[in-house]
Amino acid sequence: MESRIVEFANLLRCNGIRVSVSEGMDALRALTLLGIEDAALFRDALRTTLVKRSVDHQHFEKLFDLFFLGLAPSTRALEATWLEEMNLNPSEFQKLLDLIQDLLDHWDEEISPLTRALLSGDTGRVERIFYEADRAEGGNLNRKGMSGLIYSSLAARLGMDRVRQDLEAFKSAAAQAGIDAEILERISRYVDWRLQGVSQLLKDFIQRESQKNEPLKNRERPERLLEKSFVTYTEDDIHKMQEAVIRLARRFKNLLSLRRKRAKRGRFDVKETLRRNLQYGGVPFQIRLEQKRREKPQIVVLCDISDSVLNASRFMLHFVYSVQELYNKVRSFIFVSDIGEVTRVFEENDLRLAVDKALKGDIIDVFVHSNFGRAFELFYQKHLSVVTPKTTVIVMGDGRNNYHRPNDWILREIRGKAKQLIWLNPESRLTWGYGDSEMPRYIPHCSRVEECRNIRQLYAVMDRITP
Amino acid sequence: MFQSVDEVTRRLAEQNYLCDNKAATAIYLACAMQKPILVEGPAGAGKTELGKVLAGSLRLELIRLQCYEGLDETKALYEWEYAKQLLYTQILKDKVSEVLAGARSLRQAVDQIAKEDEVFFSEKFLLPRPLLRAILAPKPTVLLIDEVDKSDTEFEAFLLEVLSDFQVSVPELGTLQARHIPFVVLTSNNSREMSDALKRRCLHLHLDFPDARRELEIVRLKVPGAGEKLAQEAVRFLQRLRKLDLKKKPSVSETLDWVRALTLLHIQGLDDQLVNETLVTLVKYEEDIRRAEDEIKQYLVERKAPHLSSPDNDKDFLH
Repeated sequence: MESRIVEFANLLRCNGIRVSVSEGMDALRALTLLGIEDAALFRDALRTTLVKRSVDHQHFEKLFDLFFLGLAPSTRALEATWLEEMNLNPSEFQKLLDLIQDLLDHWDEEISPLTRALLSGDTGRVERIFYEADRAEGGNLNRKGMSGLIYSSLAARLGMDRVRQDLEAFKSAAAQAGIDAEILERISRYVDWRLQGVSQLLKDFIQRESQKNEPLKNRERPERLLEKSFVTYTEDDIHKMQEAVIRLARRFKNLLSLRRKRAKRGRFDVKETLRRNLQYGGVPFQIRLEQKRREKPQIVVLCDISDSVLNASRFMLHFVYSVQELYNKVRSFIFVSDIGEVTRVFEENDLRLAVDKALKGDIIDVFVHSNFGRAFELFYQKHLSVVTPKTTVIVMGDGRNNYHRPNDWILREIRGKAKQLIWLNPESRLTWGYGDSEMPRYIPHCSRVEECRNIRQLYAVMDRITP
Repeated sequence: MFQSVDEVTRRLAEQNYLCDNKAATAIYLACAMQKPILVEGPAGAGKTELGKVLAGSLRLELIRLQCYEGLDETKALYEWEYAKQLLYTQILKDKVSEVLAGARSLRQAVDQIAKEDEVFFSEKFLLPRPLLRAILAPKPTVLLIDEVDKSDTEFEAFLLEVLSDFQVSVPELGTLQARHIPFVVLTSNNSREMSDALKRRCLHLHLDFPDARRELEIVRLKVPGAGEKLAQEAVRFLQRLRKLDLKKKPSVSETLDWVRALTLLHIQGLDDQLVNETLVTLVKYEEDIRRAEDEIKQYLVERKAPHLSSPDNDKDFLH
């Protein structure tokens, strides 16, 4: 039993559920307390001791079924169909099995254990024999071999031919035992059915074992999605990513509030200390240090929403607004060639609706070619007042200007007025400057320029910006 | 202590708390293995309530610690009563001079005081907070650490020490061992992930929204005045509502509040005009209220034409 539990814990680990050794031991202790007869209790005991994250519960259920239920569902299904075919009810079936057992006991012939298990309907024993054979073959199923090869080697080891011979021998022995003709007929058909069934059982077994060793593919996706480039997102991905962004935002907020707490503690503050300790007659039981006030930054976001940058902008806005408690004020603008402010949209609507609304094209015309120069000019004329010495300006765009005027002097102006100017580019750094990319002109005016191709990089950048 | 999983279910039911087998198994194991149990789930699912009824059913004292960001050792573990120490020193000034009378040098005086310092750093002047109280309690207790995900990582660190060995080290007094190991229940809304070390030490239980049958049982139990028709309709409606994409899904406690509100207003069924007014007890956000109103309308439409409703709506609710 212990080895089975250890194996199961290992299986969970392969599939991304972190199970420690002590948790495995807890599982064993729990099973000693509850016993293993009741299937539901068994499952509950394992779940409560091995799986410590709610998100892992679904995977646990799948893996549990895969590992512990084994061949049972398929054999039960087969039995049910056979009983229907033969028009037998369960008690008649049991009588048949009892009779066969009786015959087996009185039969002197040496038969293989597999035959005996098959005849007595002991599927547990059959499975165990399969396992032993597999182990003897060197655990071939762990390697991704061709299942045909695996089948034939296992079949050979199990002695399938011998099984066939033995079953035939059993049939003739039964005939000689002088049983009622009708029951003899049933026995004969039962034996045939078992014979047919055994190769199917073996195939099912192989399939299950190889499935166990293939880590469930869905597991990897959440982590890999974070690295997936914005441009390659599908509709489905966007949905999944919104969840991921929310979680990242939460973690981000926690991290930052911790950082703020540990902010550089200043010197001994005499006034505060005395004030605090008046209740103790002036004896300084509690020391107070000067607290350095960390100011929350103000953020202005300019997002390019042309096709190439659409997803990057979407997640940028999503992320910034998820963590807006960390900032003093967030003002956001979208542009392609025109520029429009979308701050109100985010104030008035739920975050997800707002992002969709902002990107749809109601506010500015999205069916034109990118024109950074013009967008900057409009920003300069209409909105430059939002930039103050406390502001951090973030521009999210690929810098592809379609050979219009770059107007990079505007960036210089913005940089002069703001605390810092940061450019985030969803394109690979290697392509900056090629074609109509004006990055070489824009880069000198920015405090920082970062590549921002996936959510992970976005997170890292925001981490660096926010003190 | 509980003897079996069934006993857990039975005794909790006596306290008017209905739980499913998963929860009962987890509680039984936590009790038998003397391990803490971490209960996670959405707000209002009955996590805190679970701690309270456990104390009630086992007839043990409940010690409650509510966590928040910035909770530190002095508020959770123990604190020295400075004011009391100071007071005693002032009152005993004369006695102190007596003790020091024989001292001829400063060093001697200090040594003599040092011999008596256990007086001022003894358990008399120790103000035990919930965690220490649970450890020093003369009888076994139930320690409910509520909303442990709202605390910060420093708190988790010394909580870890307490939970693994059930002992606290007070520098002046030495290590205080637990006389009886308390039954620890931690609740969390999962607003942040707990550290792995903490999770490893606890058993895990996820309390989710109940299914239709159980919810109806809970409503019948906790709101006995509610009409049967109302209860059934309300539960059916709520199961539907939870399937929608709401900002905050209504939980069991909100269901009960709503049914109580409807009962107080003598409302018999969901088609009453007043129902829309009561939706504020159920959903707490503006946009959710709007969606709930639409859902009620749709539900009533479908109810009047049962052949139009989809089969899985009825499957939810097994008679």
